Amino acid sequence: MENLLELHNVHTFIKQYHILQGVDFNVPRGTITALLGRNGAGKTTTLKTILGLTPPREGKIIFNARELKGMRSFDIANLGIGFVPENRIIFQNLSVEENLKIAERKKGDYARKQDFIFSLFPDLKRLIHLSGTNLSGGQQQMLAIARALVADNSLLLIDEPSEGLAPVLIESVMAAIRELSKTSTVILVEQNFLVASQLAEYYVIIEEGRSVKSGTMAELVQDKATIHRYLGAA
Amino acid sequence: MDNFKVTLRKNFILYITLGVLTSLFIAAAQGMDSKDFVITFLRGLAVGSLTFLVASGFSLIFGLLHVLNLAHGTLYMIGAYIAWTVFVRPDTFVDILTPFVLLLSGFVLQGVWAFAVTRIRLAGAMSKILPPAPLKFAGWAGILLSLLILFLTLSRYPIGIWDVTVFAQSPGTYAFMADQGTRAVPPVAIFEKISPALAILGLLAGSLLGAFSLTLLAGVTSAPQRLTWRHFAPFGLLVLLGILTLAFNESLTAWLVGLNSNWLFLLSVVIAVLTGMGLGGLMEVTLIRPLYVRHIYQIMLTLGMSVIGIEIVRAVWGRPEFIMPKPALFSGTGPGCPATTFADWWQFNCSTILILDGRVRVYNEIFIPLVGLIVLVAVWLLLKRSRLGMVIRAGVQDREMVEALGINVRQVFTLVFALGVGLAALGGALAGPSFGLSYHMGERVMLNALVALAIGGLTSYPGAALGSVIVGMIQQFMIKYGQIGIAIPFTEIIFKPSPPIVPASTILLMVIILLLMPNGLLGKKE
Repeated sequence: MENLLELHNVHTFIKQYHILQGVDFNVPRGTITALLGRNGAGKTTTLKTILGLTPPREGKIIFNARELKGMRSFDIANLGIGFVPENRIIFQNLSVEENLKIAERKKGDYARKQDFIFSLFPDLKRLIHLSGTNLSGGQQQMLAIARALVADNSLLLIDEPSEGLAPVLIESVMAAIRELSKTSTVILVEQNFLVASQLAEYYVIIEEGRSVKSGTMAELVQDKATIHRYLGAA
Repeated sequence: MDNFKVTLRKNFILYITLGVLTSLFIAAAQGMDSKDFVITFLRGLAVGSLTFLVASGFSLIFGLLHVLNLAHGTLYMIGAYIAWTVFVRPDTFVDILTPFVLLLSGFVLQGVWAFAVTRIRLAGAMSKILPPAPLKFAGWAGILLSLLILFLTLSRYPIGIWDVTVFAQSPGTYAFMADQGTRAVPPVAIFEKISPALAILGLLAGSLLGAFSLTLLAGVTSAPQRLTWRHFAPFGLLVLLGILTLAFNESLTAWLVGLNSNWLFLLSVVIAVLTGMGLGGLMEVTLIRPLYVRHIYQIMLTLGMSVIGIEIVRAVWGRPEFIMPKPALFSGTGPGCPATTFADWWQFNCSTILILDGRVRVYNEIFIPLVGLIVLVAVWLLLKRSRLGMVIRAGVQDREMVEALGINVRQVFTLVFALGVGLAALGGALAGPSFGLSYHMGERVMLNALVALAIGGLTSYPGAALGSVIVGMIQQFMIKYGQIGIAIPFTEIIFKPSPPIVPASTILLMVIILLLMPNGLLGKKE
C-alpha cells in the first residue's frame, strides 16, 4: 500500500530539550494510524513536528512525495493537513460558525462542506450562532474536529479526542472519526487504548521520543506483553 | 430575568464604577451653564477621539502581536508632519514622489529576486563554485554598494524644501502664508548637480541592487516556478509613474496648488495615513519581527525609535511649533458667520457654529469627533464582519492554531501593525489644524492613550473607546473648571483646579479604577 506520510529518523528540539530522538513511521493512505505511548512520550510533539509548529532539526518528513522539512507551517497545512489540537482548542472569541469559516482555504469551502459536517455533528447546526465560550466540552471537541473538515484535507492529525469526555460522547466522536476516515487519512493520538484499538488499523508506539514499535492494530491487541510494557494497561 | 441577575452580579463593580462616573459627569454638567457645557463636552469628545485613534491602534497591535509599540505617539506626530507637508508644500511632496517611487520599484520585484536566487543556488550546488558564505558576502557588498549609489544620487537630487534656519523660509512662515490664502510657491528646484537621466538611472540601480542583495541575505522560502509578466508589471508601473511625475513635476505641482483646499486636505490626510501604514509595515518586517522572542528588547527598540523619530522631526521641520491651516470647508468667517444651524454652516462654511449659545469651532469640536466615531464603527465592522477581523480575533487567542489552519499569521501581523500605525497617523493628521504641530505632540497623546487603555482595558476595543472618551472628558472639564471654579457646596469656597491637576486627574482616576478592577473597565480577566 502506498504511504501518504513517511517520517524518517525525525529529531525535534524545543529550546535546548531534545524531545524527539528519532521517530520513524509510515502512514498508509486511507487508514487510521494511532500514536500510542505514555504521557510525555512525544506524541503531541510528533504531530506538531509534522505540521512544522515545532520544526524538526534532523530527519525527513515526506507528505505526498514532498519533503516538509524547512517549510513554514501554514504552507504545510495548505498542502492538505488538518489539525485537531488536544484540549479542544477552539477560538473562544468567535462564534461556532466563524470557527468553521476561519478554516476556509478557498472561498466557499464552508458552504460546500456544511452538509457533510452537520450530518456528522447535528448538534453544531443548532449552536451555529453561539459564541465559543458557551459550548460544553463535547461540543467543543466536535467543533474542533469539524473545523479540520472544512478545507479539503487528505490528512487529519487528531490529538486526544476522547480526553475528558463522557463515555456516551466518546461513542459519538468515535463514530464521527470512523466516518471521516472514509475520505481522509487519520493520525490519532490517543491515551485511551480501548478507543484507539477500536478505531485504528495501524499503530506506532512512541517511548521517550523514539518510535519503538509499529504494526497493525490486530497484532497489537493480541500482544499483551507489548501493551503491558509500553502502555501499562491490559 | 435570571440571566439579567447573573450579568448584574458578575459585573457589579463595573456598573457601580460606571454609575459613579456618570453621576460625576452629571454633577460636572450641573456646575456650568449650557454654553460652557456644550463646548467642554465637545472638546472632551475631540480629545477623546484623537486619543482613541492612537489607543485603538496601540491596543490592536498589543492584542495580536503582544508588542508594546512605544513609538506609537511618535508615528502619530509623523503623520501630522506629513499631512502638513503635503497640504502646505505640495511642491515638496511632488519633488519627493519621483525618488520615492523609484526607490520602491526594486522591492516589488520580490518574486523575480527569489527566482534568481534559487537559480543561483542551483547552479552553485551543481558546480560547487558558490558555497553559501560568498553569497552572504555578496549580499552585504551589494547592500553597501547600493547605499553608496543612493547616497550619491539623492544628495544631488533637487527637492524644493523649506529652510529651518531662515525665518522667512521656515515651515511656520509657509504655514502662516498658506493660512492667509497667499500660498507662495517657491521656484521649482532644478537639476543642477546631476542630470535627470543619471538621477533616474542611479535611483533604479540602487533600488534594484539593494532589493536583490537583501533577498540574497535574507534567503528564500518560496520562489515562483516560472516568471511571467505579472512579476514585472508592478515594477514597470512604478518606473513609469516615477518618470511621469518627474516629467510633469511642474504642472502637477501647479495643479495641486490650485486645487480646492478641501480636496488638498483630504489628499494630505490620505497620504499621511498611507505613509503611516507603510512605515508601520516596514517597521514590523525589519525591526519588530526578529525580536518576537525577546520582549524586553522590543520595548527598548520602540522606545528608542520614538526618540529617534522626535529628533528627525526636529531636524527636518525645526523646533518651533506651527499650525496646519484648516481647509476652506471649516475656515469661513465672512457674513452669516458664526452659523446658527448646520444648513447655514454648509452654505457659508463657517469656522464656528452656535450651539446652545456656545460658539463651537466646527473643525476642532465637531469634525474630529465625527471622524473618531466613523473610525470606531469602521474598525469595529472590520473586526466583526471581515475575514481579516476573524483571523485577528482568533490570533489574539491562539496564534499557533491559526497558523495550523493554513493562514500566514506573519502577514496578518504586518497588516495589523500597518493598520494600527495608519490609525495613529490619521489622528496626527487630523490634530494638525486644531492642536498644532510640535515635536512633543506625540508624547502627550501617547500618555493619554496609555491612561485610556489602562482605564478601559488594554486589549479591549470598546474599552479603548470608553477609556479615551473618559480621559478626554475629565481633562476638558478640569480645564474648564480651572477657569470658572468649582463652588464647593455648603461653603463659600470656590476651588479652581490648577493646570497641573489636568493630567494628574486622569492618572488619579486610572489608579482608582485599577485598584477596583485590575483589568480595566472592559478588559478581560487574564
